[in-house]
Amino acid sequence: MIQLTLYNLKIMSRNRHSTFWALFFPLLLVVVFGLFQVGNFGGATVTIVNNSTNDESKELIDQISSNNFFEVKQIGSTEEALNQLNNGETEYVLTIPPEFTYNMNEALSLQYTDQDPQQNEITLLMLSNFLDRTNTASPNNNTIQTIEIKKPEATYFDTVLLGLVGLGIMTNSIISIAVKISNYRNQSILKRMLVTPLPIWKFFASEITAHLILAIIQAIIILGVGILLFGASIRGNPAGLLLIILLGSVVFLNIGFIMSAWTNSPSAASGMGNAIALPMIFFSGTFFSATTLPWIMPILSEALPLTPMLSALRDIGINGYPIWAVWQDIAALAAWIVVTSVIAIKVFRFN
Amino acid sequence: MDEAIRVESLKKYYGKFVAVDDISFNVRSGEIFGILGPNGAGKTTTLEILEGLLSPNSGTVTILDLDILKHPKAIKTRIGVQLQSSAYYDYLNLLEILTILASFYPAGVRENPADILKRVNLYSKANQRVKTLSGGEKQRFTIAASLINKPELLILDEPTTGLDPRSRRNIWQLIEEINKTGITVVLTTHYMDEAEALCQRLAIMDNGHLIAVDTPSNLRASLEYQYAVKLTVEKPLNEAQILSMNSLNAKIETKSENAYVIKLKDGTDSLDILLKNIVTDNVKFQNLEITPVTLEDVFLELTGNELQEDL
Repeated sequence: MIQLTLYNLKIMSRNRHSTFWALFFPLLLVVVFGLFQVGNFGGATVTIVNNSTNDESKELIDQISSNNFFEVKQIGSTEEALNQLNNGETEYVLTIPPEFTYNMNEALSLQYTDQDPQQNEITLLMLSNFLDRTNTASPNNNTIQTIEIKKPEATYFDTVLLGLVGLGIMTNSIISIAVKISNYRNQSILKRMLVTPLPIWKFFASEITAHLILAIIQAIIILGVGILLFGASIRGNPAGLLLIILLGSVVFLNIGFIMSAWTNSPSAASGMGNAIALPMIFFSGTFFSATTLPWIMPILSEALPLTPMLSALRDIGINGYPIWAVWQDIAALAAWIVVTSVIAIKVFRFN
Repeated sequence: MDEAIRVESLKKYYGKFVAVDDISFNVRSGEIFGILGPNGAGKTTTLEILEGLLSPNSGTVTILDLDILKHPKAIKTRIGVQLQSSAYYDYLNLLEILTILASFYPAGVRENPADILKRVNLYSKANQRVKTLSGGEKQRFTIAASLINKPELLILDEPTTGLDPRSRRNIWQLIEEINKTGITVVLTTHYMDEAEALCQRLAIMDNGHLIAVDTPSNLRASLEYQYAVKLTVEKPLNEAQILSMNSLNAKIETKSENAYVIKLKDGTDSLDILLKNIVTDNVKFQNLEITPVTLEDVFLELTGNELQEDL
């Protein structure tokens, strides 16, 4: 069986169709979203809370604004500014103390997240220079007091990245298994297996094992590219993520087996797989939260298997929840496994 | 073990349609046994029951002294099967496919995949994929694949259908070579010449029924006429000539004004006399064709149908 699994992996690696759905398509989306995210690379967004009303504070703000590196927003409330920081809408919050002068002793406060340490250093250096250079005659007393915030909220890219892990695994599992089994049946490969003494469960077990291994590789590559190339931050317990990935994978493989039984040709299986997978991508909140959808869509979304998978992946990967905290999602996935297995066994046919 | 296969009162229905209707036959160890019949005769259904792919509605089948319903796994280990349209994995090469197939069998019976490829003359293509092979090569490969477990019995479903004449002869030769190594072969065919050339014994099937089981020569001998002489003459035969031919224990069919088919009941003796009569009577003929009775004639005689519509 191990050999059959290895050969299955070999077949997959040589099959461009499956490689596309497994790796290329989700990776393409990672790159698209990654580039979209770092579109303002080379610059920093600073939200300034100006508690001073004097000209010197205005001068400082003008100076910062005139530098191309900074995109400056002004806001009245510190609370609101920190909210923006948490949402990822801004990267730095600079608070100017009341009655600001260049040679006052009170420090300015700069708050930022730990997401991009390099940019943090550059920003801090540049802001210190503004305070320094302005008045060389008088000794410079201003300092910047920095407050680094552990990033508590995910960026949009983090959320999408985990969504893409789910998307990749789902499309690959459903479509590649549906097409493959349909092919096997059309070419009498299933029949050929049946005339050998190989117990048929071993055949299915090796197909499923090979696809699970592929799902793990897929997840590692997608997350790896997202984290290393585009700076996503996925924390969470890897074992927890692995568990959710495997559970989700089994559900979608079962759906693939069912699709293969309901269609008569590989291309029909591919079409049907797409017809199931693509709407699920949108309704399960891969790219945007399904709760914002109109009408009964949010309830519908809850009824799809990708929804608990993504929800658990995000709770573990972004919010750092332990596995038991997502038991509801795990239970939902387990229920999906039971239901799809029963249907798959019932409808599967060799001819 | 004298019998490789024993089939008794086998029946298989699909709903109301009777695919195999109460057939019984046996296959002797070491022979090449053919099941001859047109498409839809029930040949493949019969084989699929032997192979364990279908279960019979009634009747018993014993293969290598094992009951198919009680010992399917033991039987599958000991037989080799070539399906009518078996393709193999698209993304593996020949050697890999044989390796993976071999892994489905107990270690003790596995054949070396490279040796098998050499045996069917495909070793030079070991690293190619099935789709790059010609029709004849594909068929040789599927036969090779069915040998991977050193089978005692080989079941081939229409091994030469769709092949060109040269490839067919190649396959016949291969099957004979395999048979010489002591492997019993059961094959289906709707080619009369294939059954004649290859099979030591034949079962003739039509519409789910088994019509006859015997050696090709016995089947031919069972017909009333042993030779057909097709004669096309310049002038129609006169009555005296026809009478003299009739005296030979022959049946004369007039196909057109000057074309006759003379069916001779006795063997070469009456053929000898007929030919002499034609010479002494100075019959001027445009064409004279002597054909011994064929399995085609046997099939026509037994079923009233042609074996192949498009021959």
